[in-house]
Amino acid sequence: MGKQQTGIIKGTLDLLVLKTLALEPRHGVGVADRIGQITRGTFQVKPGSLFPALHRLEQNGFIHGEWSETPEGHRAKYYRITAAGQRQLAAEKRNWARIVVAIGQVLEAD
Amino acid sequence: MRLFTRIASLWATLFRKARLHRELDDEIRAAVDTLAARYVAAGADAADARRAALAAVAGPGGVVRVKEDVLDARIGAGLDSLLFDLRYAWRGLRKAPGLTAVIVVTLALGIGANTAIFSIVHAMLLAPLPYRDADRLVFVWLNRTQVGYPRGPMSGPDFGDLRTGSQTIASLGGIWASSAIALTGDGPPEQLRAAFVTTNFFQVLGAEAALGRTFRAEDSARGADPTILIGWDLFRRRFGGDASVVGRRIRIDDRPVTVIGVLPRGFRLLLPSDASVPDHLQAFTPFWPDLETGPRRNLFLRVIGRMRPGVTVAQARADIDAVGARVTRQLGNTRAFTTVGLQDDGVREIRGALVALFAGVGILLAIACVNVASLLIARAAARARETALRLALGASRGRLLRQALVEGLLLTALGIAAGVFAGYAALRMLLAIAPDSLSRIAASRIDVPVLTFTLVIAAAWGLLFSLAPATELLSADACGSLRSSADASRVWRRRDARGALRGHYGVGRYRTRGALVVAQIALSLVLLVSAGLLVRAFVAVARVDPGFRADRHLTFRLAIPPRYETTEAFNLFAAELQRRLAAIPGVGGVGAFSHLPYDDLPNWGLPYSLDAPIAPDAPMADSRAISAGLFETLGVRLVEGRFFDARDADPRNPVVIVDDMLARELWPGRSALGQRLVLNVGSKNVRVVGVVRHLKLRSLVDNLSPQVFVPWPIAQRNPIAYVVRTADQAIAPSALAPAVAAAVASLDPRLPVYDVRPLAAYVESARSTRRFTMVLAAAFASCALLLTCVGVYGVLAYGVAHRRREFGVRRALGATTRQVMAHVLREGIAFAVAGCAAGLAGAVVASRLLQSQLYVVHPRDPITYAIAVGAILVGGAVACGIPAYRATRVSPMDALRTE
Repeated sequence: MGKQQTGIIKGTLDLLVLKTLALEPRHGVGVADRIGQITRGTFQVKPGSLFPALHRLEQNGFIHGEWSETPEGHRAKYYRITAAGQRQLAAEKRNWARIVVAIGQVLEAD
Repeated sequence: MRLFTRIASLWATLFRKARLHRELDDEIRAAVDTLAARYVAAGADAADARRAALAAVAGPGGVVRVKEDVLDARIGAGLDSLLFDLRYAWRGLRKAPGLTAVIVVTLALGIGANTAIFSIVHAMLLAPLPYRDADRLVFVWLNRTQVGYPRGPMSGPDFGDLRTGSQTIASLGGIWASSAIALTGDGPPEQLRAAFVTTNFFQVLGAEAALGRTFRAEDSARGADPTILIGWDLFRRRFGGDASVVGRRIRIDDRPVTVIGVLPRGFRLLLPSDASVPDHLQAFTPFWPDLETGPRRNLFLRVIGRMRPGVTVAQARADIDAVGARVTRQLGNTRAFTTVGLQDDGVREIRGALVALFAGVGILLAIACVNVASLLIARAAARARETALRLALGASRGRLLRQALVEGLLLTALGIAAGVFAGYAALRMLLAIAPDSLSRIAASRIDVPVLTFTLVIAAAWGLLFSLAPATELLSADACGSLRSSADASRVWRRRDARGALRGHYGVGRYRTRGALVVAQIALSLVLLVSAGLLVRAFVAVARVDPGFRADRHLTFRLAIPPRYETTEAFNLFAAELQRRLAAIPGVGGVGAFSHLPYDDLPNWGLPYSLDAPIAPDAPMADSRAISAGLFETLGVRLVEGRFFDARDADPRNPVVIVDDMLARELWPGRSALGQRLVLNVGSKNVRVVGVVRHLKLRSLVDNLSPQVFVPWPIAQRNPIAYVVRTADQAIAPSALAPAVAAAVASLDPRLPVYDVRPLAAYVESARSTRRFTMVLAAAFASCALLLTCVGVYGVLAYGVAHRRREFGVRRALGATTRQVMAHVLREGIAFAVAGCAAGLAGAVVASRLLQSQLYVVHPRDPITYAIAVGAILVGGAVACGIPAYRATRVSPMDALRTE
């Protein structure tokens, strides 16, 4: 799924989505907004490329989607993180930390 | 279980795409709306905002592309996680091939037995008879309980009384599978098994002709053209499936007869087995015109009725009984009827056995699944440290459970595959040995309802035993098992020497499974004893002397055609044929017999009395015609007097041979020789010239009714069976067949020889129902014994796994291999003894229920009980062997190292 992840390191989209939803339930556009916001625009995610990730996470049982109303009065599917998703987030965080350390060591070894 | 929501979700993704598409459309539209609203708020005009929003949401590929990507992602994620668990489970099973094999074989036994038995139950008890509204069909017998025949055929006038008198029966049809008819022309002559039917017979059954038509009332009218309806097999074989045979004249018994129709393929008459109507009749002809005015004495009609809609069998029975009472009042002659539902009556004899068997296989499957659960728990216990390690490394209990479940379901799937295969093989074997009297059993097959049944019960049990290790997984705690298992050894130390289990760690569970094993052993013992008794009864029946020899005898039938109509021609023919058959090299004896033992021809009964006239309710004797030489050929034992010979050919001086049963009854304490009796109404006195030992011709185990034998061909019976004995043991009876056929052809080339088979085959058929139940019971008991051994093994293996440390300590303290082994064996024996004690009580009860099947074997036959208990003890000891051996292999160092 490389093509939708312009600007995002492969495999980190799930981590970002889970992290975003860990704070509060959001709909797809909201998740994209939030990722852009917390990375201060480093990562721009189009809602269209978010949908496969959201559905993959839902299929895995890490998040759960429900229809609800936005504050502006539109209908939207809000995703919230599940207990399994919380655990997965923790595991991916550890994993990411290891990668960061490992990559850092490789770079410093130069 | 999360696993289920996942599977459900994957299911929805794969198979309920429309709904998912709709939801996705909604979701995308919602996103576009949200963005568009944002752009409008920022000052864009509506159309531009919408276009921009769409581009932002969907990207260059458009909405369709997004939806495809989402579906791919969902399916990929669903399959991935399932595949991961499956791969993991598969690896686990591969790592323990022995355990996997034991579990799959156990399941295959349980599931296979259920599949096979259910397919029989389904075909025989559940599936309706293959007739239209089969539940509205009844079979009506003439009830002559007073002379020992509660279920007998009726006469034409009885049939007329019922047809006109009953209110609840919409239509009544009769059949008489009388004899064979000779088909000549269109190839070599051939005898057809045929029956007379009332013209409405097939309408009553609700059967249509595949070609042409069935009978109409005018086919039985006086002077009607002779007509015949033929079966599908005959149509294909004899007439090459050529439809133009309908409407053609063929030659039957030397007369032209018009074929009016062909019955559909697979059409069978499934009437009660004691109705003497073979289920594979080849041809049907209509009854003669004055059927209902014939003499009341001639009892030959087998009657089926179609009840009016909404009428129950009980109502029809009451109605028909009322007709009987009315006729009895009018005639001053008892006329009573027995009315039974056709559907139920066909399985009257086997229903109880089938239901018991079905319950039995259910228990067998329960035993199997308890075993599998026990084995899985034992393994989970053996893996306690691994489990603890995984918990410590952060695996969730849910994840462990899910894997246990996937593993269990994988095993179930393997078990179902093996079980269906085993069930198919078992069913093939059962059908091969099924007695002919259970005609509906042939329809048993593993079809969709049977497979559905198998899948449902196997899946239900699979879920249960897959979750059984949960008790181990949930009780495991990360530190507990890794910490020393000091608690465990403390507990096990507190076992007392007798083998009673005490303590708290896992012992409750161990004890539950111990109780289950004891119950398994008890059940197996019940089954073993029952099967053992049936086997012994079968052996006893096989040893029964039927009063004649069957080892060197070939039989065949002839239907003597009308061209030998005159007595002279008939006698001449009979004498000449006897001479030619006797002259065949290798033939040591020849005789003719109106009925062969255990054949399916209608029985001939004659009322008998010492004086004329014969009372209307005179007792009946089984009456057979025999030629001179038959009893010598069959090796029948003469009590007094002589067999028939040439002197008896004089019709003015009628003679009879009676059996000792009749002789004792009529002339107790005196010689029967030279005594006279009256047979049948209007006949003269006949003189007794010989008394023979009662011949077991209808049943091997019961002496049904007294027998009289009249000389053939004076008493003309047609068709007639011939019995030919080989001159010496070295010649197989069937080797005589070509010479016999040639001898008949040399006398009359147009006379077909049929039903050529050894006499032993008839005797064998008389034992087949008994052999069938015996084989079923024995197979069943062996499975139960095998599964029980696996059960004992499972529980002991669990015990040993939990007590590795204890055994290590024992070894370290100097226990010998023998002591450790004896320790485990003692425990197994304790189970076996407890189980046998409980099982003996059950076996005594069960064997009393079996009593009617046991013939001369006593229900508490000590040999059977001893063998059954012995089998359990030996099986139990073998099952203990492996865990006991494993216990001796625990090295002291190994046990101490894990501290």
